[in-house]
Amino acid sequence: MSKTATEHPPDDAALALRVARAAPGIDHDAESELCRRLAPRVRLYGLRHLRIEAAASDLMQQVMLMMIERLRAGALLNPDKLASFVFGICRIVVLDLRRGQTRRKRLLDTYGDALVPEALPVPNPDSDRLALCLERLPERARTVLLLTFYDEMTAGALAGELSLSEANVRVIRHRGLERLRKCVTGETNE
Amino acid sequence: MNNALSCRSPLEWDVLLAYWLGELSPEDETHTEEHYLGCADCSRRLELLIALARGVRELIKINGVNMVITDHFARRLAARGLNVREYRIPVNGSVNCTVSANDDFVLGRLEAPLDQVQRLDMVYIDSDGRTEMRLEDIPFIPESGAVVFSTRIDALRALPACALRVRLLDVTGTGERTLGEYTFNHTPDPLQRSE
Repeated sequence: MSKTATEHPPDDAALALRVARAAPGIDHDAESELCRRLAPRVRLYGLRHLRIEAAASDLMQQVMLMMIERLRAGALLNPDKLASFVFGICRIVVLDLRRGQTRRKRLLDTYGDALVPEALPVPNPDSDRLALCLERLPERARTVLLLTFYDEMTAGALAGELSLSEANVRVIRHRGLERLRKCVTGETNE
Repeated sequence: MNNALSCRSPLEWDVLLAYWLGELSPEDETHTEEHYLGCADCSRRLELLIALARGVRELIKINGVNMVITDHFARRLAARGLNVREYRIPVNGSVNCTVSANDDFVLGRLEAPLDQVQRLDMVYIDSDGRTEMRLEDIPFIPESGAVVFSTRIDALRALPACALRVRLLDVTGTGERTLGEYTFNHTPDPLQRSE
């Protein structure tokens, strides 16, 4: 049957429910689709907390496996709370990754890597375009953004380094980021 | 979970950047994480932000960027084991300079009396004395008595032997005055030329 304009893909909660209801059987399509959607988000969580691409990929892999395992076991009582459910797993796995690798080995032994998405495409801004956009920024915005991104400096730390107020740094950073982002994505020709 | 095509309450870019830098309170951080883990739109925004940060780091690492920097930043570069070549020039002074294949960063340190300065502009002067490029309202720390700037290393390596002149201007509401003029007498690295 062809899709009509009113048909929407199932939301994440509906997919989670399908995974849970299929147990003890397996709804491969629902599991795959759920992992395809959530894995990139979990990777971002991993990058934020672990700061290393390989570690973020490890986290993503483990969280997906644990999520499916728990969904099959009926551990998610309210599918609308799937984000909180995944968030809880992320926290546990980050702690695990910092302590060791025990849970990962058990999960991989049980499930293999069938559920784990292949390496995710990572967006990479065109470097020539990015260089051009940086050149077009006002001087203060360029310095603030470059120090922010290169050294991951907070507004407070930058304020001390540049003899500016923290509020001033935030304003410069906000305006600079808007201009840079719009220039890189082509929203403006600035 | 919110995975519709458009998020009804998207996380602001400022919030995402603050999150990435660890500036948020634990409560706000939790809220942000629960939101983007359930939101395709906001996770894509965060992805773009992280990609921008990575792109900037790569750019700086490969070729450097034309930018005014701080003393602290210059010291951090050196502390990381990067090869930082720095030329210090007194007011109205000149320096013979080059760039080698091993250099990661080339910095110019222009000494100037900055105590009373409110707005500082930096002007590149061509061989005929005309303004080639003007950088307005550059960041500076008055008590440091100097402006430190980094120049793209690929641009420097492409330069023939030449004299580059830079002028620092104190800009006020009523006009401007020259704080100092600085000349870089550039010579290409002989080893690089012979390659």
